[in-house]
Amino acid sequence: MSDGTGELRDLLGRTALRDRAAFARLYDRAGPKLFGICLRILRDRHEAEDALQEIFVKIWYSAERYVPDIASPQAWLNTVARNHAIDLLRARKPGGGEIDDADPLADDAPGPEDRAIQLSEGRQIETCLSELTPPRAEAVRRAYVEGDSYVELADRFAVPLNTMRSWLRRSLIQLRECMSR
Amino acid sequence: MTTDPDPLDPRDVASAGEYVLGTLPRAERDLFRRRLAGEPALRAEVTRWEVHFHPLSDEVAPVDTPPNLWPGIERRLFEPSVARDSGVSPFWRWLGLGAGLATAVLAGILWLGPVRLPDGGQLWVSDMVSADGAVRLAALYDERSGEMRVSVGGAEPGAGRDFELWLIQGDRAPISLGVMPHRGQAAMPIPPELRMLVANATLAITDEPAGGTPTGVATGPVVASAPLRRI
Repeated sequence: MSDGTGELRDLLGRTALRDRAAFARLYDRAGPKLFGICLRILRDRHEAEDALQEIFVKIWYSAERYVPDIASPQAWLNTVARNHAIDLLRARKPGGGEIDDADPLADDAPGPEDRAIQLSEGRQIETCLSELTPPRAEAVRRAYVEGDSYVELADRFAVPLNTMRSWLRRSLIQLRECMSR
Repeated sequence: MTTDPDPLDPRDVASAGEYVLGTLPRAERDLFRRRLAGEPALRAEVTRWEVHFHPLSDEVAPVDTPPNLWPGIERRLFEPSVARDSGVSPFWRWLGLGAGLATAVLAGILWLGPVRLPDGGQLWVSDMVSADGAVRLAALYDERSGEMRVSVGGAEPGAGRDFELWLIQGDRAPISLGVMPHRGQAAMPIPPELRMLVANATLAITDEPAGGTPTGVATGPVVASAPLRRI
């Protein structure tokens, strides 16, 4: 991890203790990366700005759930940001949902960011992606980095929606086998 | 960390991957998230995918944040409502705390620091003070009785407004614990199904229309918040 890991960890810990100066510094340090993630996924500057504010409100309230010994602070922060941005995206995008009615219970379950994110994984993902055919690797990458939905991926790769989905699910199982080796 | 004694169905492995990638349509995403609450093995699988995919974030370049964002975050979290006039009849049931000991504990929280009860019961406290120090609210939760006691001091909400108390546990939607009296003390029983959520939660007060939020979710700014800590 980068040199900033120790500092981020410290800032998150102090944020959990409601240290507002530490929280402000955490925003300075982590804000640009999280803003980049929001912009990339939401592709709308105004929406990304709103999202970033909500993400930091979330971070303020949930910083105490970050577990320093087993989690990289950047991974935890990114997960909070990505989850929030994807939720917004799926709530608005055509093709993001077959069922349109808003579900207020959606936020009721614990989010993934409160679960530990282990540090030890490195860049194995690149190796495993390279074992997929290039279009399939690209589909996985686009989904993760750009937030592409199945509808968008099916358009991009010019395959029927169901085909796209079984494609990607098979790729995931293959990836998972590779990562377990 | 959760250990994973039973191998997951490959379909669940793929679903967890889809969930982390974010490709699931909204309804399925919500459904999957609800499953996570009760399935530790599935949660562990999601964590694995988060770990696996995280390095892909490296290709996302940081972007300078516009200068107006941070003040907006501070406003949302810390800006107290500036208001004086009260006059709203408190619908909160007022309770004399009875036991002088409990009163002493609340007083201790507000002004003297934590106090330990002699009988060793598990107690949680939260000291909420607005950024400008004007609004103060201390809460004491007794696990054995399942009762939350609050002591409200300082500035009162504006005319036609009430302070509402919220329980925030992790990523769950904030749960309303009720509208606060404008001043003095109150006690509220925490419903049994919420009691398991109190430990290490955060309490927050928001500024709401009289009688509390009409929508079930907080509509006003957070006036003050603080985590519950064991004493």
